[in-house]
Amino acid sequence: MIKEFIAVLSNPHLMVKPFRQLWLLTIKNLRLLLRSRASALIIIFAPLIMILIIGLSYNTSAQFGLNIGIAVDSFTEDVESFVTLLEEEEFTIHRYEASLDDCIADIKSSKVHTCITLPQSFSVEDNSQKEVTFYIDPSRINIVWMIQETVKTKFNIKSQEISQDLAQNVLTQLTDTKNVLLAEESNLNAVKAKTGVASTGATTAKQNLAVIDLTVSTSANESAAVDEDLNTANDLLSDVLGYLGSIEDESQREAARDALNEAKEMLYGDVDENESFNGAIGALQADLNSLGQKLGTAADAIGKSNTDIDTVIATLQEAISDIEAVQLGLSTSYTNLDSQKVTSADTITSPIVTKIERVSPESTYLNYLFPALLVMVVMFSSLLLGTTLVMIEKNSPAFLRNFFLPVKKIIFVMSIYVTNIILILTEIIIILGISLFFLKNSLPVLPAVAFILFVTASVFTFLGMTIGYLFTSEETGVLASISLGSIFLFVSGVILPLEGVSPLIRKITFFNPFVIAEKLVREIFIFNTSFSLLNSDLGLLIAYGILLFITIMIIESFVHEHVVRKMLKHHHRAQVKESKEMQ
Amino acid sequence: MELLELRGVGKAFKEAQILKNVDIIIEEGDILGVIGQSGGGKTTLLNLITGFIEPSEGEILYYSKAYNEKRDLNENLHKIKRFFGFTPQHNSFYPKLTVKENLLHFGRLYDLDEATLNTNIKNLLQFTRLSDQQHKIADQLSGGMQKRLDISCSLVHKPKILILDEPTADLDPILQKEILHLLQEVNKQGVTIIIASHQLDSIEQTCNKVAIVHGGTIQCHGLLDDIRNPPAQDHFTISISADEKEQIMNRLKTYPIKKIIERGNSLVIYPADAERTMARVLSLVKSDHLKLHTMHLRKQSLSDVFEKIVHDQQ
Repeated sequence: MIKEFIAVLSNPHLMVKPFRQLWLLTIKNLRLLLRSRASALIIIFAPLIMILIIGLSYNTSAQFGLNIGIAVDSFTEDVESFVTLLEEEEFTIHRYEASLDDCIADIKSSKVHTCITLPQSFSVEDNSQKEVTFYIDPSRINIVWMIQETVKTKFNIKSQEISQDLAQNVLTQLTDTKNVLLAEESNLNAVKAKTGVASTGATTAKQNLAVIDLTVSTSANESAAVDEDLNTANDLLSDVLGYLGSIEDESQREAARDALNEAKEMLYGDVDENESFNGAIGALQADLNSLGQKLGTAADAIGKSNTDIDTVIATLQEAISDIEAVQLGLSTSYTNLDSQKVTSADTITSPIVTKIERVSPESTYLNYLFPALLVMVVMFSSLLLGTTLVMIEKNSPAFLRNFFLPVKKIIFVMSIYVTNIILILTEIIIILGISLFFLKNSLPVLPAVAFILFVTASVFTFLGMTIGYLFTSEETGVLASISLGSIFLFVSGVILPLEGVSPLIRKITFFNPFVIAEKLVREIFIFNTSFSLLNSDLGLLIAYGILLFITIMIIESFVHEHVVRKMLKHHHRAQVKESKEMQ
Repeated sequence: MELLELRGVGKAFKEAQILKNVDIIIEEGDILGVIGQSGGGKTTLLNLITGFIEPSEGEILYYSKAYNEKRDLNENLHKIKRFFGFTPQHNSFYPKLTVKENLLHFGRLYDLDEATLNTNIKNLLQFTRLSDQQHKIADQLSGGMQKRLDISCSLVHKPKILILDEPTADLDPILQKEILHLLQEVNKQGVTIIIASHQLDSIEQTCNKVAIVHGGTIQCHGLLDDIRNPPAQDHFTISISADEKEQIMNRLKTYPIKKIIERGNSLVIYPADAERTMARVLSLVKSDHLKLHTMHLRKQSLSDVFEKIVHDQQ
């Protein structure tokens, strides 16, 4: 396949006519460009040299070589510890003891980049804050930003150390209080338990008293019933005695009569009142009456006791409720203290730590610079090459002859584009090849990056060609290309932060092809973002390319007419001058 | 066979009318010389013939063999481009390519097959005596070689019509002669040639037909011999001794003579009546015993014709 492709390239007659013409014109363009040594050197090799130098320069993770002046009355232990912190980051420290004016003078003469005045001690004894002052040269905006970003971090560390001590004391006290509350809660629980037991005992006693039945039936009713029973028994005895007459055996009758009489005597005979049944009943009734009175008295006492126990129970219940309320309060306090999850002084003193977290694996500065650098090289190379190639063609002596060739205009335009793309792609391959030397882990994303750069190169080539067709001299065309590239660069946020420009301009910059291309390469190169997520930006870039190509074709048709007129005018002037000279 | 015909052609740029009412017929095998003053419209006429610019009025027709009829040139330009070879006044090749690379580049773009192209190039290099220079960068060639290369580039695809704009303008007389000879050789191979030039001698030596452009119109058009006839009757030239020149000049001033032009020891005399004045001059020479080296009444040159036209227009 590759062999066939090379065979076709080496023998243009194997190609379809338009492609053959395109290839022949492209080869011619490449020859012309490469034989113009100055152009080749500047346009092709300069970007390669640039990327090599930048690659070697920024292939480090070391900090910036900033010169920092420290102006203090005397270099105490605290000050020295801070100086050590700065020196760890490879900052060069210049000491100014009680000579702030000297330090400021050195900023003006660019010997130091900033002056910092520090307090003698960083320990906080009262509520007054320690003041640190930066003296910077605002005219050097990029240095100011760098100083703010880097030195500020160091101060945050120092400030954090001091706050940490202060917060640790507060927290210790809080922890102690928590422990005391915890102990008191245990005591309260014990009291509560005991009171509960007492309350239960009182309740049980009350229940026991309540179940005693002290009710007694009245004795009158009882004796009437006994009398009625005696009368009934008497009547029955009389009836039995009457029946005894009918008994034939006298002895048996007499025996029965005696027994019955004895029984009658027993009931009503002259026996001792105490011994008689009736008497016994009476005595019993009296005892019962007495007992009834005593029990009545006891019932009264029990009722009173019951009332007293109720009062005790109520009081104990109230006590328990009070204890429960206290317990709840303690529990709430404990819960509140316990819910304080953050018990670290570090966290309390610096809830939002100003440390810089990297959203990608830590790498050298070249990694972060590389996308912008790549797009920058492609942008300038494409713009300049596009302009130069159009100018070479337009100003070529053969321009007139090309008109008579049976080749369509679009083929000429495309040949310039293809020439440009071949050169830029060669550059891209070399640059990416060099990049592998510095950025060894980038190999998997390189094809995607190369594709983005190809689209980018196309857009900027067309832009450079547009400039080439619009301008008449090569010098002004190249100047316009460099200016346009510089504008793209300056409104991209790569050199100056876009946060400083107006919101409208900031919105417009999102349509800057350099910004779009840089964003695409950065997302693929650093974050390994999938192509599908970059469709809109990529689409916009391709749309730019198509739009510019159409623009070129329109401009080219106007330019051709203009060039013809210019040539005729030039021709006439030359002839008139020649005639005058001859005369 | 008529190859090209211009019918009532005119061209205006904005408000300036450069050419008007141009009627010319160019036949196969012609060497047509277009002459005129600088800014007279010669180059515009060539550009119209090649289709480089379109006429504002009139039409340019070419003979189509396929249709056996004349067809509009501008409407069919893409089809007939290959029949034209054009050599502008200034060299029109890539100076950073070699001689052969230039020829190959233009030849290939005319879609010639490689064998034909190589044969054409070989013949052309021999014909223009550039074979030894074929690998030299064009920029490094001498002026004459560059002009020959330029013409070669116009001939590499074997056009039917070769159009040249001031082909000898920047060349010394020897190189001019060389190029004109080359063009005659090209013409012998069947190529119709149209040359625009203000060097009337070159045209006179090379062309069989002439068109004189002046004041935006074709003042005269036809065979060179027809244009130069009849012989010039307006002046004659005498060649005399230097020491007698003043004496003769003083006598001539008494004759009815329009003007006398001194050219060294020769005097070009424009009398009112040439024959009578010539007789009086001969009588003077005889009577005063003067030495008359030569005396001739020459045939009208192209320059004479052109000057007459310009003079008449003024």
